[in-house]
Amino acid sequence: MNALDAVYILTGAVLFSFAVLTWRDVSNRQRKTSALFWFVLAVIFALGSVMPHWLTGLLVVALVAIDGLNKVGKGESSTSPPAASIGAKIFLPVLAIPLVTIAVALAFRLSGQDANRGALVGLGFGGLAAMLLCVRLTRSKFITLLDEGRRLNETMGAVNILPQLLASLGVIFAAAKVGDLIAAGIQSVIAPESLFLLVLANCAGMALFTMVMGNSFAAFPVLAAGVLVPLLIKPFNADPAMAAIITLTAGASGTLLTPMAANFNIVPAALLNLKDQYGVIRFQWPYAVAMWSLHVLLLWLFIKIQ
Amino acid sequence: MEWLKLSGVLIVVIGLALRLRTTLVVLVAAFVTGLVAGLPLLTILNLLGKAFADNRLMTLFLLTLPAIGLAERHGLQQQAAALIRRISAATVGRLLLVYQLLRILIGALGIRLNGHPSFVRPLVYPMAAGVSASSQTETIKAATAASENYGNFYGQNLSVVQAGVLLVYGVMKGLGYDISLWRLVAWTSPIVIASVVLAAVQFAWLDHRLKLESQQ
Repeated sequence: MNALDAVYILTGAVLFSFAVLTWRDVSNRQRKTSALFWFVLAVIFALGSVMPHWLTGLLVVALVAIDGLNKVGKGESSTSPPAASIGAKIFLPVLAIPLVTIAVALAFRLSGQDANRGALVGLGFGGLAAMLLCVRLTRSKFITLLDEGRRLNETMGAVNILPQLLASLGVIFAAAKVGDLIAAGIQSVIAPESLFLLVLANCAGMALFTMVMGNSFAAFPVLAAGVLVPLLIKPFNADPAMAAIITLTAGASGTLLTPMAANFNIVPAALLNLKDQYGVIRFQWPYAVAMWSLHVLLLWLFIKIQ
Repeated sequence: MEWLKLSGVLIVVIGLALRLRTTLVVLVAAFVTGLVAGLPLLTILNLLGKAFADNRLMTLFLLTLPAIGLAERHGLQQQAAALIRRISAATVGRLLLVYQLLRILIGALGIRLNGHPSFVRPLVYPMAAGVSASSQTETIKAATAASENYGNFYGQNLSVVQAGVLLVYGVMKGLGYDISLWRLVAWTSPIVIASVVLAAVQFAWLDHRLKLESQQ
């Protein structure tokens, strides 16, 4: 068993504790189905490396079915009164997470192992170190620690599995060769050697998809498979890390412009009692357009000069 | 009939635009795409299960929740608020720029946060309104909400453990490119610098307008 599998099993154990605590939370009107959801996710985490893939696939279908039936809920929030403050020392456990992450990644690199894997293992150990440090500093019980984790986890809810699900959608798109199809469509309009127009199509596609879906994370797998990889990275031999991360944030301009990203643009307007519910977007649009243009320029320039 | 394969993309776009449950929309799109492309159901389940298991790394942040939750109960938010209150800025624009920088730092530390309810509404907006004698409260409100978005969207990619960077890593790996998480963070820095410079310009322009108005 490698270190990353140990971290996955640890995550599974934490999720299992969330499931048990949710099951026992009588203030949660959907406590049984919610607990089932977190339990299934715990099983996928702990056993994902050894289970047959089709079984994991079925469990994913089960997760989405529970969420799709609107059966993942949360209990009443503040059941416990805020505890005594311990001053600025409370930053220490939170800072331990990035510090341990970087330390473990460096240790992996120095010992000749994959630094990516090091960062992920480090995140796991960082989380564990932060838990122990926090319990010690605040003199809390371990069960309180887990229950606070359950509370935060429930606040985010089933959306937690979305990045994993979107990446899986990307894999299915790749298997179905959806990317090749989009690429062929664009190539029938834009000549394959016109780098600037292709960069423009890539960034415009990313921003537009993000605006319609309200989510740049959902747009990225489609654009990466359909435009970025077949039309920019492969033919122009572009640095994949550079091109991919710039494409992702080209989508952020779309997020700044769309009411579909309600929690960033519409909810804040309501929170601040803005008379115009699109007031935040109205303020953001010149910035979003400028940032987007800069993404086009930088992506084009970085591919051109490499 | 090749074009039928795009039905999955269409399902995602329409489903999310109609605000249907995101997880359900994504899963239906995956199955429809696979079936239309002629993949057997068992193959789709295998692909789905393998991809979901391979990408567990994107959800490892769950391990940080207990510590952050307990720290919140012992005054993490209040301590952060005290830190923000110590910002002294002469103008609205400068205050918002400092908040944006602070927000970038929080993202770079790998902490996920929806700053609108926790910092913008209770702290940053009242401070901004206090700094300015202007009657243009609507513009100041919008600008305060924007500074949170500017700092959040670009700053979070400076951490190797944030969802955006891990999503890019996972998707690119699925497409056959094993890229380094650290290179992703390195290449995002020019974008972060640009995001601060452009915000500085916009906030300076805001200060200028507020000043003009107060002189009238």
